[in-house]
Formats: sequence, C-alpha cells, structure tokens
Amino acid sequence: MDYIDFTQLHPVRKAIVGVRRGIIGFPKTVGQFFGAIRRGIAGFFRGIGRLIAETVAAFVHGDFRTRLSFLILGLGNAFRGQIVRGLLFFLCEIGYIAYMVLFGSSFLAKIGTLGTETQQKVFDETEGIYIYTRGDNSMQILLFSVLSILLTLLFIGVYLWNIRSAYRSQQLQEQEKPLPTFRQDLHSLLDSRYHVTLLTPPVVLVTLFTILPLIFMVLIAFTNFDKDHQPPGNLFTWIGLDNFSAMFGGNEQLGYTFLNLLLWTFVWALFSTFSNYIFGMILALLINKKGIRFKKFWRTVFIITIAVPQFVSLMLMSQLLADEGAVNVLLRELGWISESVPFLTNGTMAKITVLVINMWVGIPYSMLITTGILLNIPEDMYESARIDGAGPVTAFFKITLPYMLFVTTPYLITQFVNNINNFNVIYLLTRGGPLTLDYYKAGQTDLLVTWLYKQTVEEQNYNLAGVIGVIVFIITATFSLIVYNSSASAKKEEEFQ
Amino acid sequence: MKVLRRIGILFLAVVLVFCLAACNRNRGDGDVTKDTVELKVWGAQEDQEMLKAMVEEFKKENPDTNYSITFGVVGEKDTQTKILEDPDAAADVFSFPDDQMGDLIKAGVLYEITLDKAAIMSENSEGSVAAATVDNKLYAYPMTADNGYFLYYDKSVLTEEDVKTLDGMLAAAQKKNKKVLMDVSNGWYLASFFLGAGGSLGLENGKQTCDFNNEQGVAAGEAVKAFCAHPAFITGEDAILTGGIGSTIAAGVSGTWTADAIQEKLGDNYAATKLPTFTLNGKQVQMKSFAGYKLMGVNSGTKHPKEAMKLARFLTNEKNQLIRFEKRAMGPSNIKAAADEKVKANVALSALAMQNQYGVSQANVLNSSWDPMEAFGTAMEAKDYKKTVKEYLDTMVSQMAA
Repeated sequence: MDYIDFTQLHPVRKAIVGVRRGIIGFPKTVGQFFGAIRRGIAGFFRGIGRLIAETVAAFVHGDFRTRLSFLILGLGNAFRGQIVRGLLFFLCEIGYIAYMVLFGSSFLAKIGTLGTETQQKVFDETEGIYIYTRGDNSMQILLFSVLSILLTLLFIGVYLWNIRSAYRSQQLQEQEKPLPTFRQDLHSLLDSRYHVTLLTPPVVLVTLFTILPLIFMVLIAFTNFDKDHQPPGNLFTWIGLDNFSAMFGGNEQLGYTFLNLLLWTFVWALFSTFSNYIFGMILALLINKKGIRFKKFWRTVFIITIAVPQFVSLMLMSQLLADEGAVNVLLRELGWISESVPFLTNGTMAKITVLVINMWVGIPYSMLITTGILLNIPEDMYESARIDGAGPVTAFFKITLPYMLFVTTPYLITQFVNNINNFNVIYLLTRGGPLTLDYYKAGQTDLLVTWLYKQTVEEQNYNLAGVIGVIVFIITATFSLIVYNSSASAKKEEEFQ
Repeated sequence: MKVLRRIGILFLAVVLVFCLAACNRNRGDGDVTKDTVELKVWGAQEDQEMLKAMVEEFKKENPDTNYSITFGVVGEKDTQTKILEDPDAAADVFSFPDDQMGDLIKAGVLYEITLDKAAIMSENSEGSVAAATVDNKLYAYPMTADNGYFLYYDKSVLTEEDVKTLDGMLAAAQKKNKKVLMDVSNGWYLASFFLGAGGSLGLENGKQTCDFNNEQGVAAGEAVKAFCAHPAFITGEDAILTGGIGSTIAAGVSGTWTADAIQEKLGDNYAATKLPTFTLNGKQVQMKSFAGYKLMGVNSGTKHPKEAMKLARFLTNEKNQLIRFEKRAMGPSNIKAAADEKVKANVALSALAMQNQYGVSQANVLNSSWDPMEAFGTAMEAKDYKKTVKEYLDTMVSQMAA
C-alpha cells in the first residue's frame, strides 16, 4: 500500500493497518536486532583472524630479531635502536610474570573448585586459645581470578602489539626509512594519537570499577553463594544453571514470586513513565496556553517541588500516609472515615499510592523538559491546521504528540529503564511492603531491583540476586536496543538537522 | 588547540593522582612500629563517644603495650551484613545482637572464647550466657541484657488489675475510647503469642525449624487474629507509641529504648510491667517474649587474638556495663551490675526483668525468619482473611525453613 492510499483510509481502517504493520514488522525488528548482534560477533572474530594472520606473517617473514621478540618482549625494537620502547615491552612481560607467579596463579589454580580448604582451628595449650588458620576464601578466589583473566587478556594485547611493532620496525628498516624515536612516540601521543591519551584512563577506570564487578556478579549467579555458604566458615562452588532452573520451575514459590514481581515491575515502569510524561505535557500545555496569566509564576510553583530533595519528600509521604500517620488521623478526627485507609499496608492500595506519589516527584521534571520542546513547535503548523478545520484535540494528536514523541523517544526509553530499576521511590515509600506470604520474602510493591537488594543485604543470597541481576540486565538491554533502533529518532536521524 | 590539549593532560594527571591517593589510603600508615597492637572496634553511632572513653581507660590500665585502636561506626543491627561483606576487613572486636549468632558462627567469623571462660560464664546472667554459647562453646562476651520487650501503660487509664490480661486491658481501653498498641507486623513482637502457646524455634543443620503451625500454634494465630480485629487494637512503630501514649494510646508493647520518651509523656502516670496473659482455647496463657542480649565478639581472622580478647573482656566487664547503663540506659547482663541500686530503681528495666522470667532465647532464630513472620502479622492487621490462619501459618513455617 502506498503512502498516499494509506492517508486516504478511514481512521479506523488506518489504525488497523497501522497495528497490522507493527505486528508484521515486529519479527523484522527483532530480526534486525539479532542480525546486528550476529554481525558484531562476526566482525569480532574476523578481527581476531586478521590479528592471527598478521602475527603468523611476522613470524614467517621476520628475521631473527623479530622472531626473538616472540619470546622476549621488546627485543626486536631494542636491537633496532628503539631502546626505551623495547624496555617498556620487556617490563610489561616481567610485571605480568611476576604478578602471575606471586599472586595470580594461586587464585587461578582454584577457580575450578573455588577453594576446598575451610578455616581450621587448633587449640594452643600454652596460650590457652584456639589458633585459627584461614583456609580458602571462595569470594577472593573468584574476584582475583577474574582480575587475573582480565590482566591476561591485556597482556595478550601487549604481546601482539609487541610483535607487530617489531615487524613494523623491521619493514621500515628494510625500506631504509628512519625508525620513530621514543621522543617522537611520546609526541605522537599528544598529537596524532591524542585520543589514546585521553581515553586510556577512563577505559582503565571503567574496567576496574564497572566491568570487573559486572563479570563478578554474573559469575556469582552460577554459584551457590547464599546464606548457608558464607566464607570463610563455609565455601561456595560452581553449581552451573541450578539457580536459573530453580527460578524458572524448580522452586515453585521462587518462580511465582519472580513472575509476579516482573509483571508488577513492568506495570510500574509503564505507568510511572507515561503518567509522568503525559501529565507533565498536559501541565506544560496548560501553562503555555494563550491567555493564561502569570506563566512564570505557575512554572516556578511547580518547580519548587524539585527544590525539595526527592528522598525527603518520599520519606515524608510515607510518614504522612502510614496507618497512624497524619493523613489518616486527620481524616478520622474530621469523622470522614472510621477506619484508617490502608494507603501503604494493603497491596493494591500501596501499588496505587506509589504510582500517584511518583507522579508528584516526577511531573515537574517532565513539565520542564516538555515546555522547552513545546515552545519549539512552529506556530504556523497550528495555524494551517486551524484553517483546515482541526480542533485542539486533533491538533494535539496530529502535531504536538508526533513532534514530542519524535524528539523525546530516547528520553522515554531512558525513563522506562530507569523506572524498571527505580529503587528510591519504592524503597523509601514502602520498602517493598506490605510483605506477603504468597511471595518468597518479598512484598507486594517490591520491584525486581528492590527484591535483589533484600536478597543481598538482608538475606545474603547473593546467587539469587545474581540471577535476578542478569535477567533484569538482559530484559532492559534487549528492550532498549529494540525500541531505540525502531524509533523514529534513530531511523530519521539525518532528517532532523 | 595546543593549550586545550595541555589542559586535557593536566586534568588527567590530577584525576590519576586522586585515584592513586584514594587507593593508597587503605594501606594504612607505614610508620607504626612493630610492637604496636592495631585493633579495630565497631560500635553504634550513639556509642562512639562512650566507647572511646572506655578504650582510653583500657590503654591506661595496660601501659606496657602500645595500642593503636581505631573505631568504625557500625550499628549492632548491621554487624552481620558488614562482617560478611569481607571478614578480613572487618573489625577485630564488634558488638551484635544474639540473633545474629547462628549466621555468624556458620560463616566462621566468631573466635571461640577459651580464656577466662569459666569466669565469664559465672559473672553473667544465665540467659545471657546461654545466648552466647552453642554446644557448650562460648563464642562471645555478654554485654547487655535489655534487648527485650514488655508493657508500658498509662496508670490514669488502666489499673494494675486491667493489665494482667489482654482481654481486660482491651475492654478497659475501649471503654475510655483509647487504644492498645502492639506492632504485630513485626516478627519479634508477634512471636510472643506463639511462644506463649508453647511454640518453639530451633536450628537443624543451619536451617530454621519452627512449630508455630501445630494445633496450639494455630490457636495462637487465631488469638492474634482476634486481637487485631479488636476495635481498641492499633499497630505501629515506636514513633507511634511514643507520640500517642497519654493521649490516644493507653498501653503499648516496646523495649527500654522508648523508656525516656514515654516517661516524659506520662509523667506521674508512667508505669511498666510484664506482658499480659491472653486467651488460648478458653484458658489464660502468659505471653512470652524474646529475651535478647547484645554480645561482643572477636573476629576469627584477627591478627592479635589475645589482645582483642582482652579488650572485649574489658569492654564488657562489670564497671563498663554500669557505664553503659548510666550513659545509654542499657541493662547489664553482669549479675553484680544488674544488682546495683541504680539499675533496680529503673521502672523499665525492672519490668523487663519481670518479663524475662518468660523470656525465650533469640539465638535460635535466623535473621531470615523475621520477614515471613512479618508477612503473617501484616495479613492479620490488614484483616486479609482470604486464607485460613492454618494455611497462612503453614506457608510461614515453610518459608522460614527455606
């Protein structure tokens, strides 16, 4: 169907066609997504293949100096007069070997079992006390093994770089070109390769403080690191996919809890994102409307709620709405109710309450953001719409909303993902409560992320928390990639300049 | 461009220096001489000043050793979590409530106490020693004996006769349009019904066992249900009790930590006593309670076990338990300290002593058992009767064992 045919359809038919297109197009969107992943992986392996080919070529065509640097790093460079560069490569090798011998290997050797020796105590007659000998500590073994593996990968990189550098120098010499001196190398870091200088520290820090813990957490999902296996008294070990199978079928209550919390997490994310967005936009439209006086005053009034720190408003709300809190006491004194309204103690009520309170803290922000964009919509579009006979509702759905969605889709996705992991609002308002015996140690307003928090901090069931974390990560990552890639903002990026 | 790049490099250098400096700080000072005994002590924020004074005394009493004692702020409630995060980085000496014993022993972080064992066991009250021992092995030093609860009431509303039974108390309060507060949706308080009905909690291979869902337990559950449905019942945390007592609330269940606030509110009408009896299958049964103790433990990974034990022993001796009572109103577990005139004159502590005749040790309760109990209490308070009491209790017990 051409675009021109489509625009002439009856609105109902239009909607049907639109929905059908969406459904038909969905497998394609998903397909594109997985295609992109496949291409990424393929590209990665092609890159590795190229690296290996280059290394082999260096060995085949290299002279003895280049070949020697396969064993002793930096030798090829040092023999050709690039002393400092060669020395640095050599130091890397020494450092890596020293690390592995003195430290890393003792942990790496135990990664298969995560330790077997528990803590022992022997009674010392002369001192009159037990002497404890620390055994293995599964947690440290896992942590330092991951670190060692990352360092090994880094070293492999340095190793390949060293071979390449030696071979490059050999080729330059064969072509009778001058070799770059160390001073020139350093200078290039400030000049042609300035990006390397700037990017190195952030990459190192992100690896240490984000990627390392992330790998650690994912690995814990495959162990039995729970409250019964706390080192040093008890060690934990690999149990494969048992945690995942317990969550999806093996343990009925766990599975039930997980599915219900997942459902509530999505309901929460959806409602809180769109309620804030739509009400914020309506508020902004109201204030922007011609004929409204004291615009600046109204805007300021709503923005004042931002000035109060979010957690203060939330704690205050939870106090106010408690069964014996100010609101209930006031209503009772006035004689409007005889029993306290269970704002936070009845499951359904609590869910509604947190959604409404979230609007209180969220709407001013979306009002601010949408105000700016609304002011940007060209007035002449509305004028021509009015001339064509469009009412305010039609103008909203045909002009305002498409324009807003186009600009703010990335913002909406971020908000949605943020809300899936919206720890603050839930934890400060209800702590996930009211608790229910239907769930496995979770309350009715618990999101997956607050359940995860309880499992780690209160219950020490790190393995379960790991599983929850992995699943939440997969869900949010897949969701945001698919939605973003199929959104107008990504597809028509060039048009909007 | 050149200038910009220079600035970029400078910025990076500053960031790196900060990072390195931050990493280095953990290494500790290197100039401490070899003979220095370095110890770390954990205590609650409110206790820091008192702890520091006690440690100064300790140093004065042991002038031959060069101590370097540092302090960390970790409230007793969080001790378990913080220690298990990394036992090697945790304090050498730390205090904790006795319900964390099971988990801490399982994780192997408590040093078994053998020095002065007999003396420690005879100096402290029976209950506190029982809380610190497992299989006749002593794992910690008893520190306080006040982690329990009892009944506060307003003498102008309720008579001594009224507060003997729960029914009598509720009826008397209702007549005067007042309320009786108990935080039923808190496993710690809730358990008093089940324990009163003869229920028990135990440990088997590190798992919680519990018989609150047997016939007697279900009867106790029904009593909780009736209590929560009574018009004079209200629930709430300590803030509700201290805020409402004297005006809308006539009596409430809490512990010594609210004593000052309640005394201030009630003035001459301030009174406290043991928990009342409740109706179980038509008979009056005394409500029991958890008698909790705070203990002081030594980290099994400490580098100076003997010195750490000496410090823990000092911090929990008679004199320091009395200081704890005077400064922070914590009831002593030391028998001599508990017999002190000043301690005996304390209304709340003597009510607690009365209730402690019906005290049950908390050492057999795992930390993860509170949430299922709370969930049952929440359902009763919300009058959520979609399942029978028996069904609720069955789920509760199976979750506690999980």
